[in-house]
Amino acid sequence: MQQQQRLEQGFGRSLALLVACTLCLAVARAEARAPADMLSRPAPDFALPAAAGSNVRLSEYLGQPVVLSFWSSRCGRCAAQLAALDRLYATYHSSGLVVFGVSVEDDPQRALDYAHAHQTSFPLLLDGAKSVSRAFEIGVLPTTVLIDRGGVVRYMHSDDRPNDPSYVAQIRALLDDRLIPP
Amino acid sequence: MNFPKATHSPMNTMMHRLLRSLWPLLLASLAVPALAADAAPAAPAAVPPPTAPAAAVPATTPAGDAAAAPATADSDAGAATRSLDEQIQGLKKDVVDLNKDLFMLEEDLLFPANTQVAVFVSMDVGDFFALDSITLKIDNHDVSNYLYTPREVSALLKGGVQRLYVGNLKAGPHELVALFNGKGPHDRYYRRADSIRFTKGVGAKYLELKITDYQRAQQPEFEIKDWD
Repeated sequence: MQQQQRLEQGFGRSLALLVACTLCLAVARAEARAPADMLSRPAPDFALPAAAGSNVRLSEYLGQPVVLSFWSSRCGRCAAQLAALDRLYATYHSSGLVVFGVSVEDDPQRALDYAHAHQTSFPLLLDGAKSVSRAFEIGVLPTTVLIDRGGVVRYMHSDDRPNDPSYVAQIRALLDDRLIPP
Repeated sequence: MNFPKATHSPMNTMMHRLLRSLWPLLLASLAVPALAADAAPAAPAAVPPPTAPAAAVPATTPAGDAAAAPATADSDAGAATRSLDEQIQGLKKDVVDLNKDLFMLEEDLLFPANTQVAVFVSMDVGDFFALDSITLKIDNHDVSNYLYTPREVSALLKGGVQRLYVGNLKAGPHELVALFNGKGPHDRYYRRADSIRFTKGVGAKYLELKITDYQRAQQPEFEIKDWD
């Protein structure tokens, strides 16, 4: 009798575990799919203060390809990502490429310290309220968003491989695009 | 409910413009096959019949016809292109006008005149103040927090007026508080608040935040003006 009860309990636990795993998988799949939903959609406009310098509004860069890199000081791979983007920016800045690093840090002072420690030649923006990261449906750090001249999200990467040739190919494709006149 | 005046006239205009924008499209669709049909017989006319013996025809006629016919065809094609281009430009203008009407209609519906409150920002000179952001509170509720970029500040300094906020308020007394953030004299962080108590009546209410330089005190001056 006890053995049967144990078996039933074991079966119940296994079933609960299976349900929990399925739920976790579903949530993970939904999160993984979320950034892809942004593709081919107009990038949400925003205005953010920069760690150094003046405020930045995305819509003012319509007509230029823009790369947004979402980072945090707690993300170990973000420093390498920012450094790699800095190299790409140095190469393609003269062609009109615009790069912004967007911090999703809770503590603005921590973000400022990090920005000062990891100097980049492109502006690092502070999104303390996380309104911009929510608008871009960012679920993983680092995430890089590539926006074309028309202000449409063309590519999104949730990895730390900016040295991947696909990045360069995509940036070049954005630079080669011509803005369709209204 | 007194919105018929506000909603019907833009709707009528919109429908009128929609019809106006559709008929050139219809004409263009009719004109293109007609032009193609016109162009088709013109092509054989320009080419002399290959079977005709050269000696049987006077020497000047084929050369003159051949020169005149392509010229006529070219001018026809040019006129047709111009006409199509004009129609396209007309369509574009109609689309822009339609968009404007829709925008006005949307504004009328979202912010009816009897509840509308709009806040504008203007700046003068700006030697003693570099605007960074404005936070707006109405009846102690944050309604707007706007960050200014150098381009926007430059536009304000050139005489531009920005509509910072538009919303709805019920009739009665209200309080508006504006917090100005930026850099003051000697590049120091500058934060100043100003408030106004106003009464919302039956018509739309317009308020203006004016930032001016007070030369005697070498300080910026903030004023909220109620446009009755």
